[in-house]
Amino acid sequence: MQYSQKVLDHFMKPHNVGKIENPDAEATEGSPACGDQISIFLKIDPETNIIDDIKFQSYGCASNIATGSIITDMAIGKSIEEAKKITWESAADALDGLPAVKMHCSVLAVDTLKKAIKKYEIKHGLAEEESFSKKTIVEELRKIIYPGVGEDIVTLKMVKYVGFENGVATIDVEIPKFDKYRDNVVEEIEEHLEAFDEIKEVKVTI
Amino acid sequence: MERIYFNNCLTSKPAPEVIEITTEYMKNNYYFPEDFNTMGTKAFFKLEKAKKTIADSMAANSKEIHFTSGGTAANNLAIKGYLTANSKKGTHIICSVIDYPDILTNAAFFENSGFDVTYLQADNEGFIDLDQLKNSIREDTILFMTTFGNHTVGTIQPLKEIRKILDRSEHKIVMHVDACEAYARIPINVNELGIDFMSISAHKIHGPQGIGALYQRKGIVLGQVQHGVNRMDNLQTGGLNIASIAGFAKAVELAFNNLEENIAKIRKLSDYLLNKIESTIPDTLLNGPRGDKRVPHNINISFDYIEGEAIMMMMDISGVSISTGSACASKGLKPNYVLMALGRNHEQSHSSMKFTLSRYNTIEEIDYTVEKLAEVVKELRSRSPLSN
Repeated sequence: MQYSQKVLDHFMKPHNVGKIENPDAEATEGSPACGDQISIFLKIDPETNIIDDIKFQSYGCASNIATGSIITDMAIGKSIEEAKKITWESAADALDGLPAVKMHCSVLAVDTLKKAIKKYEIKHGLAEEESFSKKTIVEELRKIIYPGVGEDIVTLKMVKYVGFENGVATIDVEIPKFDKYRDNVVEEIEEHLEAFDEIKEVKVTI
Repeated sequence: MERIYFNNCLTSKPAPEVIEITTEYMKNNYYFPEDFNTMGTKAFFKLEKAKKTIADSMAANSKEIHFTSGGTAANNLAIKGYLTANSKKGTHIICSVIDYPDILTNAAFFENSGFDVTYLQADNEGFIDLDQLKNSIREDTILFMTTFGNHTVGTIQPLKEIRKILDRSEHKIVMHVDACEAYARIPINVNELGIDFMSISAHKIHGPQGIGALYQRKGIVLGQVQHGVNRMDNLQTGGLNIASIAGFAKAVELAFNNLEENIAKIRKLSDYLLNKIESTIPDTLLNGPRGDKRVPHNINISFDYIEGEAIMMMMDISGVSISTGSACASKGLKPNYVLMALGRNHEQSHSSMKFTLSRYNTIEEIDYTVEKLAEVVKELRSRSPLSN
């Protein structure tokens, strides 16, 4: 695996590892079954909305641990508004790049941070719960990285159709039959969408 | 410190004696045996001697040995060669879900070409389901294929019992065995086990890379897989890898001169490694059977709460090469299919680490490895939400 020195440094000696007791917000994303899971804990100043402390725990590979380390570094001391602007691309850049097959680790870490912030905002009346719609599904699909390229499947125009009716999400994706990541992408779509209470069934056609 | 290498199932360090003879052949003995003069004749006899060394190691005859470019080429020659030449006899083949990719991809290829394939299941130690085998045999079954020593968990398939089951059929069912992991690690007598085809590979037993062989039982017809200039016989077309063949024979000689001793040494090392891991590190799970039901050089073990690629990377930085069944380290981002077929869950597969030892490993190397491994596992568990 071709990791940058920076990835290896953050992997071997990660920053901000651990748990915060009584955090102001926390979120856990991913699952051990998929091979990576990350939990993020936040302490936020209620006056200034600045992230005073942030910690993470990771079950995952070297890039999962390194992205947890880098995004917590990027978020600490920032206001939640600024922290929300951290993207998975900027996190990967800060690590001097990640291999294409590992980009999903960066997405997972950033997504977990955003979820934790969102929980804080909802709790403190700074944001409202978003109503579920087809748009939510498309946004979720943007978190699925095609491992061959390291870009998400929506940007890559691999998603041809998204439908949502009576709790059934119907997704058409285009992946060549011989593609080694074909099953992987389908599984990812199912795992991501099945996590929503609003979705009772996921139908993926390729 | 020199690298500690436990990936001998991937490839192994060439023995110094192998390097010496291979270099000597490249310098001074590069002649082709078909060269009808003094040098060619000498080469012919040397090649015959190499064949005999390999044939003797499995109680075969020299005429039953074909050199190939490795284990995969040998598997392809056996499977494609047999099925294309014998499809009139039947079009049903049997293998198992835990076989080496050479067998599985060939099975899929023939399935797409109109053959029927039965994929046997395996139990939680990696033994294929013999009752299912009994019930799967049909009038048109012509080939059974198996991985003798499993490439992931080391399980040694009971070939004698399998042969008996195959022989209950009124017609001949040919048995092809991929023995790249088992050869030179356990004694193999092709006649006692009733093996019809067997693939072996030099670089897994301290021989050169890029050379292997297929054993083909006399009287069983193989079709040509590769057409071209006939240097040895019509199954071995093209130029000969003379130097590597000499190195291969040397590697076989070294392994088989002291086979029992070599096996005992590796078994002792792997037993020591397993005991040391199990007594030092909590929450581990051995994958595959215990003791002599597995090839002596293979230990496969899962570490709860953490992921294998991270373990592999940290051990690599500490100078130790081991491999993992984690999806994160696989090309298709999938958990190891053998472990999943053995009933392990995703986490157990992601956290599995495979050590494959050789006679060049030492007790000191194992002591260092387990010491580092204990630190690595402890460190990664301290970062994991699953163990906190």
